[in-house]
Amino acid sequence: MSAGTPKSLASSGQKPIQEICHPLGAEDTASVLTPSPDVGNTITSIGGKDLSLPNGTPVETSSPASSSSLLNRLQLDDDLDGETRDLFVTVEDPKKHVSTMETYITYMVATKTTRVEFDLPEYSVRRRYQDFDWLRTKLEDTQPTHLIPPLPEKFVMKGVVDRFSEEFVETRRKALDKFLKRVADHPVLSFNEHFNAFLSAKDLNKRQGLALLSKMGESVKYVTGGYKLRGRPVEFSAMGDYLDMFTQKLGTIDRIAQRIIKEQSEYQVELREYGPVYTTWALSEAELQGPLEGVASCMANCSSALDELTQDMSEDFLPVLREYVLYIESMKIVLKKRDNIQAEYEAKLEAAAFRKEDRASCTQVPTDVEKCHDRVECCNADLKSDWDRWQNNKRQDFRQLLTGMADHNIQYYEKCLAAWESVIPLLRDKQPQETETEED
Amino acid sequence: MMADSGPKEVAVIGNTELTSAELDNNIKNTMVEIEKGTSLLRKMEISVAEAEKRTGKNTVNMQEIYTVYLIETRPVDALTEGITPDSLWRRYSEFELLRNYLLVTYPFVVVAPLPEKRAEIVWHKLSADNMDPDFVERRRVGLENFLHRVASHPVLCNDNIFYIFLTEDKDWKEMVYETGFQAKADSRLKAVNAAFRVKNPDGRFTELKHYSDELQTVLSQLLRVRARVADRLYGVYKVHGNYGRVFSEWSAIEKEMGDGLQSAGHHMDAYAASVDDILEEEEHYADQLKEYLFYTDALRAVCRKHELTQFELEMVALDLACKKQQKEELVTGTVRTFSLKGMTSKLFGQETAEQREAKLQVLEQQLKEGEEAVKEKNTESDEFVKTAWVDIERFKDQKDRDLKEALISYAVMQISMCKKGIQVWTNAKECFNKM
Repeated sequence: MSAGTPKSLASSGQKPIQEICHPLGAEDTASVLTPSPDVGNTITSIGGKDLSLPNGTPVETSSPASSSSLLNRLQLDDDLDGETRDLFVTVEDPKKHVSTMETYITYMVATKTTRVEFDLPEYSVRRRYQDFDWLRTKLEDTQPTHLIPPLPEKFVMKGVVDRFSEEFVETRRKALDKFLKRVADHPVLSFNEHFNAFLSAKDLNKRQGLALLSKMGESVKYVTGGYKLRGRPVEFSAMGDYLDMFTQKLGTIDRIAQRIIKEQSEYQVELREYGPVYTTWALSEAELQGPLEGVASCMANCSSALDELTQDMSEDFLPVLREYVLYIESMKIVLKKRDNIQAEYEAKLEAAAFRKEDRASCTQVPTDVEKCHDRVECCNADLKSDWDRWQNNKRQDFRQLLTGMADHNIQYYEKCLAAWESVIPLLRDKQPQETETEED
Repeated sequence: MMADSGPKEVAVIGNTELTSAELDNNIKNTMVEIEKGTSLLRKMEISVAEAEKRTGKNTVNMQEIYTVYLIETRPVDALTEGITPDSLWRRYSEFELLRNYLLVTYPFVVVAPLPEKRAEIVWHKLSADNMDPDFVERRRVGLENFLHRVASHPVLCNDNIFYIFLTEDKDWKEMVYETGFQAKADSRLKAVNAAFRVKNPDGRFTELKHYSDELQTVLSQLLRVRARVADRLYGVYKVHGNYGRVFSEWSAIEKEMGDGLQSAGHHMDAYAASVDDILEEEEHYADQLKEYLFYTDALRAVCRKHELTQFELEMVALDLACKKQQKEELVTGTVRTFSLKGMTSKLFGQETAEQREAKLQVLEQQLKEGEEAVKEKNTESDEFVKTAWVDIERFKDQKDRDLKEALISYAVMQISMCKKGIQVWTNAKECFNKM
C-alpha cells in the first residue's frame, strides 16, 4: 500500500488557507471517513445509513482522508497563483451501497462557493459514476466547442478487476476529483447549469435514455458533418497532429511501464527464493550463521521494498497515463466538431455568394451566414484558450507524474540501501575467539 | 591472496610426535603468517599473468585449440623494479595433473580446487563457451588463486614438484610420473568399499562428510538462484532504456517540456547501461562461492582417506583376531568354529603331533607379523587423523574468514548499486522538475 504523503492534484479550485473550513465541518456529522489502509474492506451501508468507524469510535478529524482533502486545498496551483477562487469542489469518502438490484459505490461531492449562481454557499451530495458520466455528456452537448476533461474508464471487466477493491475505488476517486476540479476551474464550463445541478441537486433528474440518444445524435451531426472543409487554419492542424503523436508516445510509455512491472515481478519471484537459501545455509554453519542470517533478512527487506514499488507504479502511474489517452480522444472529437462548423460556414458562405450573384441588388450578408461565422469565431477562440489551458495542465500533470515515478524509485533504493548498510556491522562483527584485528 | 612462506614447525608426513599444544601452535603460526601480510611463498611472487590460444595435435592426432596460461615468478626480496620475472606456459591439464599429484601425495590435506573446466553455472549474458574471453579471464584469475592457495599452505608449499611446476618448463610431466604417485592413488573401488564397511570411523570425519554434503547442496542452489536473479535484474534495467528512446521522441514534439524530457531520457539510458558493470562485479562474488563449492570435494576426499585407513586397520585387526583364534584351537585341540581344518580332520583323521607343531610355528610367526601390522596401521591411522584434523581446522578458519569477506564485499556491491540508483533517479527527477 502506498503510504505517505497523499498526492496533490494539479489545477484548480483552491482557497487560501485562511478561508478553508473543515471539509466535514457542518455537514454529515455522523459520516464515515475513507477507511485507512490498515482497515480491511470498505464499509458497507444499507439504505444510505451512516456508520461510525469499525471499532466504534466516533469520527476523528485527523484521519488520512481528511488530511488528504486538506492537502488538496493547501496545494497552490502554480499557474493560478494569486487568482481568487470562488468555487471549490472535492470528491471524497467512497461508500459501498448494497441493494437487491445492484451493488455500487457513491462518492461525496463537497462544494464551497461564493458564486451567486448557487443558492447556498456549501453543498454536500452523494454521486455515483453514472452521475459523473451524465454530467460529462451534458457538458459535451451544451458546450460542444470546449474541451471537456475526461472521466476514468467506465467499463471494467468483471473478474479481471475488483470494482470494489480499495485500490480501484481510490484510483477512481482521484480521477473523478480531478475531473470536477478541471470543470470548476474552467471559466465557461463552471457556469454550466448542469454542473450546477450536479453539485447542488439532491436528486439528479437525469433522464438517462434521452441524454444518451441526444448525445449520439449530436456527435453524429458534428462529427460526420457532410460539409467539406476547405482550409483548416494551421494552428488547428498542428493541434491534431500533436495529439496524434502524443497519443502514440503515451501508448509507448504505457507499454514500457507495464513491461517494467512485469520484469520486476519476475525479479521478485527469484529474489523470494534467493534470500531463504542463505537461511538454509546458516543452519550448517557456526561462525557464519549470524552473517548469513543477516543477509537473508536484508534480502527479505529488499523484497518487500520492491513489492511497494511495483504496487505504487500500478496504482499511481498507469491510471493517469490511460486517463490522458481518453482525454485526447475526446479532444480530437472537439477538433472535428470545429472543422465541421467551419465547413458548414464555408459552404453557406459559398452558397450565399452564389445566390448574391443572382440577385444583384442584395448587398446584405444573410444572417444565417453571419451566425455561422460567429460560431466559427467563437469556436476557434474557445478552443484556443482551452488548448492553452490544456497544455499547461498537461505539463503540470506529467511533471507530477514523472517526478512521482522518480520518487518511488528513489524510495525503493533508499530502503534497500538502509537494509544493506545495517547488515555491514553485523558482517564485520568480531567473534571473541579471534585474536587478530581485522582491517575494515 | 598472496602466498605464505612455510613456517618451520609444520606437520609433515613422518612426524608423528605432535602434541596438541604443538598443533595449536602450528595453526596459530599459519594464521599469523597470513595475517601479517609478509606472506610470500619462499620469498616468491607468483602470478598467472596471461592467457593465450594455441593450436596443436592432441592424443588422437586431431587438431585442437587450447588455452595456455603464463605463470610468472619473481623473488620478492630482489629489487623488483625492472627485473623481468621468470615465466613459463602451462595448460589447464597440467594444473589438473599437479593437483592430482598433491591429492595423492598429501591425502590429509584439504587441497584447494581448480576453477571450472567448463563454464557451468552462468547467467544469460555469459555463454557457456570455453573460448569466451570473459570466461578465460575468470579462469586465469582462478588458476592464480589456486597457486596462491597451494603456495601459502604450510605443507604443500614445500613440495618440490610444485616448485618445479612454477619454475621449470621442460620435463615437468615426466618428473611427476616418476614419483610414482599414480600407484599410490587409492582405487575408487577400495574407497567405496571402505565407506560402506568401516565399523568405527572417527565421529568428527562423519560429521565433516555430512557438512560437506550440505555445503555442496546449499552452494549449488545458491549459485543457481543467484544466476537467475542476475538474469531478471538485467531485464529490469534494460527495459528502462526504452524510456530513454521514447522520452527523446516525445521531447521533439514538445516546447517547454522538451529539454527536461530529453535530459531525463539520457539518465534513463545511463541507468539501463549501468547494469552491465554491476553484474560483472557480482561474478566475482559467484566465483568466491564456487571455490568453496569445489572445496567440498577436497573435504570429502580427506574423509574417504580416513575411512580407507580405518578400514584397513580394522581388516588387519580382524585378521589378527582370526589368527589368534586359530592358534587357540590348535593348542587346545578343539574346533570351536566351523573351519575347513575341522572338516578335513574329521574326514581324514587327526594330524600328527609334528604336523601340529609345524602349524603352530607358522601361526606364531603370522601372529607376530599380524601384531606388527596392526601396530603399523594404528600408527598410520592415528597420524592421519592428527595431521588431517590440523589441516581441517586450518581450512575451517580460512573458510570462515574468506566467506565473511565475500559477504561483506557483496553487501558493499549492493550498497554501491543502491547509491547509483538513487543518483540516477535523483538526476532524472531534477530534469522532470524542469519540464
